[in-house]
Amino acid sequence: MRYENQQPAEGINVTKVNPAIQFLKFLVAAIVLVVLVVIVLQFVGGSLAKRVPFKYEKQLTEKFDFSVLGTDSDAKERNPALESEMRSYLNDLARRVAPGMDLPDGMSVTVHYNEENVFNAFATIGGNLVFYKALLTKMPHENALAMVMAHEIAHIKHRDPIVGLGGGVASMMAVSMLTGSSGLAERFLTQTTLVTSMQFTRDMETAADKAALGAVNKLYGHVNGAGSLFEVMGSIKSDNDAVPDWLERFARTHPLSQDRVNAVRTLAIENEWRETGELTPLPDGFQDWLSAVQ
Amino acid sequence: MIELGFFVVFLACGFIFGQRAEKRHFKSIVKRESQSLSLPVVASKYPPDDQPYKQILVSGNVVVASDYFKSFTAGLINIFGGRVTPFESLLDRGRREAILRMKSAAQSHDASYVFNVKLETSRIVTGRAGAIEVLAYGTALVSTEPLTSNRTISSSATSPSAT
Amino acid sequence: MLISNLEILPNSRIVRHIGLVQGSSVRSKHVGRDIMASFKNIFGGELQGYTELLHESREEATERLIEQAKSVGANAVINVRYSTSSIAAGAAEIFVYGTAVELEPA
Repeated sequence: MRYENQQPAEGINVTKVNPAIQFLKFLVAAIVLVVLVVIVLQFVGGSLAKRVPFKYEKQLTEKFDFSVLGTDSDAKERNPALESEMRSYLNDLARRVAPGMDLPDGMSVTVHYNEENVFNAFATIGGNLVFYKALLTKMPHENALAMVMAHEIAHIKHRDPIVGLGGGVASMMAVSMLTGSSGLAERFLTQTTLVTSMQFTRDMETAADKAALGAVNKLYGHVNGAGSLFEVMGSIKSDNDAVPDWLERFARTHPLSQDRVNAVRTLAIENEWRETGELTPLPDGFQDWLSAVQ
Repeated sequence: MIELGFFVVFLACGFIFGQRAEKRHFKSIVKRESQSLSLPVVASKYPPDDQPYKQILVSGNVVVASDYFKSFTAGLINIFGGRVTPFESLLDRGRREAILRMKSAAQSHDASYVFNVKLETSRIVTGRAGAIEVLAYGTALVSTEPLTSNRTISSSATSPSAT
Repeated sequence: MLISNLEILPNSRIVRHIGLVQGSSVRSKHVGRDIMASFKNIFGGELQGYTELLHESREEATERLIEQAKSVGANAVINVRYSTSSIAAGAAEIFVYGTAVELEPA
């Protein structure tokens, strides 16, 4: 008997592949799969969520205080009187804007004022609108504020918050099931999901802008000043110069500010809305209400 | 944006360094394997009975990490199923390296053979990327008679109990 | 090619021990199977998808073992052992190794 060792041929236990090509193939396939799943489920989840009656939405959020959302309320001294002035002014403006928007029966909006220094306003389920202080301080006149208000009301009218929630939850769940076992790739594919979902959000924003401009025209008889908020926003967001426009356009929920200014102009021309007219100033005391909290 | 940047950098690092390290490792494995062919490694349990041998348990182990690129690609493959080729090469490297280390441990005792070789593989989890450990162990037979360089034994039986 | 996990083969004589040969296979099932398996985990029972997966992997690993044995000029592999390990979630590695030998022609 002889004992000896011989070298087996190479490459039997290792499949010969080009790792770069293999990677690209699977990456493209995974992205296509995720995008398809998100598109289908945004649509299915969204249209299912739209069937939820508005009054359930409203009941769900009734107890929630949006004015302290994200605020460290103990740390600051609040001035309830001035705060409620601001709140009642915002709600009053909403009541003036709403008739121009043909809200369905039983739909109502509630405006909340939040003192956080966040440059934002958003609409959420139950017809709740939240306006942040930093956004209000940048308002040049009431026309701009009415545009924002109408934009957010349009979201409520289109039921965007609940549709976004339904579609978002459905697609996130499906994608996390798909990619749950993929280890490192999961994070990347989750990002793909978010970016794909954003495209849906952006369509909603464009539709909301359109409806809002019509309402502003009805309220003031012209659309002068409606776009000025976007001009302000453009000047604020320009600190992100390192990011190229096309990439920002792709990865942002809202259309770019400059694009929105242009869209507003086009819409006004198409509908023959007057682009000139007297601007309505913000009410007296607006600045005082803002400084309610130091 | 920053996150995407990190991702691309990690992926590129994993690809460039990982692939290069793998090529080098395979090259070195093949070279060392051909150099150590003179020491037979056998999975058999029955050692030759031609002469007395001293027995020493020898082992070799290695932990090989997967790189970012491998782990990421494996994750993508996992969605569709099929051969997880990035890990095939990782395991092959680990196994052959462990055997080589066991062999060099045996060689340091001037062993003539390593018998009853067994291999153990386990997954060592470090975060989401992974690493594997391979352990190779066996019994090194060291000739107690001097000058037995002849490894061809003229024995008629395959094993002691076979006759 | 004779594959056996016996050490001593009745009625045949080993002429030459050629040493260790190995075959391995890492495979995974597509995500649908993984999801089905996770549902099955609620109720218990056989995970057929994974039974299939491991069976396929074992066959592939054995084929690779045979290929290695052929490439070193063996006509049998004895003392064969299988081992299974989980390499990543949803992917399993099957490893098989044994001693390649040359049997005396019958």
